[in-house]
Amino acid sequence: MGLKNFRSSWWHAVASWTWNAQDETCGICRMAFDGCCPDCKIPGDDCPLIWGSCNHAFHLHCILKWVNSQTSQAHCPMCRREWQFKGS
Amino acid sequence: MEDWSSSACNLGILDTLSNDAVQEIVESYNGFCAATETLLCGAGDLSVGSEFVADVQSLCKHGLESLVRDHFLRALEETFEKNGAFKFWRHFEAYGKFSEIGDEEVQEVLCKALEEISMEKQYQEKCLLMLVHALQSYKENISEGRHNSDAERVYLFPKYQLLVSSVLMATLPPHFPEILNWYFKGRLEELSTIMSGELNDDGEIQDKAEISLNEKSKVSYRVGQMEIDECYHQGMLSENNKLVKNIGKVVRDLRSLGFTSMTEDAYASAIFLLLKAKVHELAGDDYRNSVLESIKQWIQAVPLQFLHALLVYLGDSISYDSVSSGLKSPLASRPSSFYPGINTPSEGLVRWKLRLEYFAYETLQDLRIAKLFEIIVDYPDSSPAIEDLKQCLEYTGQHSKLVESFISALRYRLLTAGASTNDILHQYVSTIKALRTIDPAGVFLEAVGEPIRDYLRGRKDTIKCIVTMLTDGTGGNSNLSGNTGDSLLEELNRDEENQENIGLDDDFNTDDKQAWINAQHWEPDPVEADPLKGSRNRRKVDILGMIVGIIGSKDQLVNEYRVMLAEKLLNKSDYDIDTEIRTLELLKIHFGESSMQKCEIMLNDLIDSKRTNTNVKATINQPSQRGAELGDTALPMDILNATIISSNFWPPIQEESLVVPQPVEQLLSDYAKRFNEIKIPRKLLWKKNLGAVKLELQFEDRQVQFTVAPIHAAIIMQFQGQASWTSKNLAAAIGVPIDVLNRRINFWTSKGILAESLGEDSNEHLFTLVEGIVDTSKNGGGNSGSREDILIGDEEGEQSTASVEDQLRKEMTVYEKFIVGMLTNFGSMALDRIHNTLKMFCIADPPYDKTIQQLQSFLSGLVSEEKLELRDGMYFLKK
Repeated sequence: MGLKNFRSSWWHAVASWTWNAQDETCGICRMAFDGCCPDCKIPGDDCPLIWGSCNHAFHLHCILKWVNSQTSQAHCPMCRREWQFKGS
Repeated sequence: MEDWSSSACNLGILDTLSNDAVQEIVESYNGFCAATETLLCGAGDLSVGSEFVADVQSLCKHGLESLVRDHFLRALEETFEKNGAFKFWRHFEAYGKFSEIGDEEVQEVLCKALEEISMEKQYQEKCLLMLVHALQSYKENISEGRHNSDAERVYLFPKYQLLVSSVLMATLPPHFPEILNWYFKGRLEELSTIMSGELNDDGEIQDKAEISLNEKSKVSYRVGQMEIDECYHQGMLSENNKLVKNIGKVVRDLRSLGFTSMTEDAYASAIFLLLKAKVHELAGDDYRNSVLESIKQWIQAVPLQFLHALLVYLGDSISYDSVSSGLKSPLASRPSSFYPGINTPSEGLVRWKLRLEYFAYETLQDLRIAKLFEIIVDYPDSSPAIEDLKQCLEYTGQHSKLVESFISALRYRLLTAGASTNDILHQYVSTIKALRTIDPAGVFLEAVGEPIRDYLRGRKDTIKCIVTMLTDGTGGNSNLSGNTGDSLLEELNRDEENQENIGLDDDFNTDDKQAWINAQHWEPDPVEADPLKGSRNRRKVDILGMIVGIIGSKDQLVNEYRVMLAEKLLNKSDYDIDTEIRTLELLKIHFGESSMQKCEIMLNDLIDSKRTNTNVKATINQPSQRGAELGDTALPMDILNATIISSNFWPPIQEESLVVPQPVEQLLSDYAKRFNEIKIPRKLLWKKNLGAVKLELQFEDRQVQFTVAPIHAAIIMQFQGQASWTSKNLAAAIGVPIDVLNRRINFWTSKGILAESLGEDSNEHLFTLVEGIVDTSKNGGGNSGSREDILIGDEEGEQSTASVEDQLRKEMTVYEKFIVGMLTNFGSMALDRIHNTLKMFCIADPPYDKTIQQLQSFLSGLVSEEKLELRDGMYFLKK
């Protein structure tokens, strides 16, 4: 065998990232989770998702806007349960 | 005067005549006739003069002056016809129609003939003068003092002049004007040669001066040179003058024979011919130098000087009565004027100058217009020629000629199937740039650009070429490596900055002063301007705008750019995107930030990837150590880099399944896991068919390096454990369809790494690793042990992103149902009706937003799939 060894000196791979969420789109702004909320320009770290205790996910900016606009206790826009940030 | 006119009619006077008187009259008349004959025919014999005078006076006494005059004139005419005209024309008989005429010969013959006939004429004039004197003295005798002494001469000489020219004109041979032409042409050429010799010598002297610049005696040399020049010029001048004087003499002789207009025509046409030849000679096919100045100089130096000398000479000879005094030297009258145009030129000369310059401008313009296509091909180098043309056109105003001729050249030479879209686009840009110089308002550009734009719209790859041209350093023109040239975009930007620096484009400047300046600079649109288009948007020729105008909208352009950008970014093995960022910034300036938003995110992904990649690899030590325990097949994490994209903002990406070698798979999953830990709750989805791999193939005697797509790497890695594979098994092992494998494996067979043979089953191909690669292998690797082939993505047109057409097809398939439904209901529909109906009814998600061209290409796709039929512009359902 003339062949001794095949080696890759580097491997440049391509991947796409996605939010590990059940839904495709944000229930508030109807934009894709993998995109960003209407106020942001750059997706990803700059426009993160947040989960409520009800396991519904929204763009952080979207749900904050929602929560802040509510006078009393805010509810999840999807299931009307009381809104609690997950893990808090 | 009244005497003879009344007596001529009074027949009654005959009765009063006595026999003696009759006798006297008869004798005098006979004597007069004889004397006349002797005078006119006897060459130079004036001895009969006294008898002649006596006879004339005696005839006049009897009131027969008119008879005397008429007879004498008739005798003159006959003699002139016989002695003058006949002989004169005989000189030229030899040069019949169309025969070749020697230049020297013509000159000689013409001079000789003219001399002869002038002598004859002078002699006849002398005779006529005798008659005039005789009549004069008679009149003075009978009416002392109150008679106008000059009347006879004033009456007779013009008559004689008329007689001469009518005799000559009546017998004019048809080729005489041509002979004159020849003559003047020859003389002018001679003059031109002398002059150009002089100019060249001037140049030589200046060269010498330049050579001696280093010498200490520079100043003194300069002085010396000037002296030389002056002497020289005077020498030349006298020589010229001799020539001009000769010509002047010929012209004057011709004039005196009544050939004034014919002569003028002859030398004018000779001058124009010479000028034309000169312009052609100077201009030629060289577009790198401006020739207008040298043409003007030449006009000053040769034809104008000639004309000046001639006019001065003729002017002198006309204003003087006698011939001899007319020979006053023109040099004497204006000793210091070398260039006649400078010293208060006469009106005639100014007129000539304008005529000549106009003619030169027109000739040059025609010449340049005819070659405009070539000139524009050479554009930046040929700008002097463009500058010349601009000046010519300003003078002649024949822009429409340019437009017509250029458009037909374009149609004939550029807008053909043989020309590549790139070439057409480059020519288009050059045209814009070149015509912008000639016509800053862009009016003619609109007319010229229209056919190019129309044609380009019909080409499929136009958008692609435009984007490449805009963004690529090499202008998309060649694959020559390197970032040598600036992209068109950068050039445009630079232009724009320059323009801003000049401050020409501040349309919205509210400054009153500036507004006033703008108002003062206002110029009406050229008459050819299309009134439908406002003059406002014509103020600045916007190259990018004109390019985008080809496509119709910037969105398509941006979209195409995005696809190309994606392609480029996905194939990058490092994270170096400086040039892309720069291009994007430039595009943002032109197309606005919002339309470039997605592209910006793409670039941002690359920047983020770099950071994340470092982060992931720095914190992943344990898994790689664990990998080491798995055996020596495991790979270090160092070799893996990843580009992580926000797929929503990228153009659709071609996904193909691929099974990568196990160690790599392990790396990928470790990497993804670490990413998930860092960026929770985000996760990675590998697109294993994308990216680039650098391989080192170690053979017994040498090492070969390749940079390849992952699928190629996956293929060749399989051969590490097993030296030969059937295509079916191999396809299964790397998880791709068999046809894809067969296509992709060609890469390795063409490199001579794998050999292909037919397996047991004829449908099966057997691939075997080539043992001991010979030097004759196609990659020519004999020269060194290692070699690197950059072969990413561009192989066989494989693309990692879906092309714009594919995207379009995908988007359009939604409407296929609608179209089929429509056609079922209506039977047949025209393109625009389908388009309008879709626009009307497909307003829901996704709304129909395609152009009619896009629809047409989609429909033609359906036709080729035999779902539809197209007859006479109507679409039918295929049955």
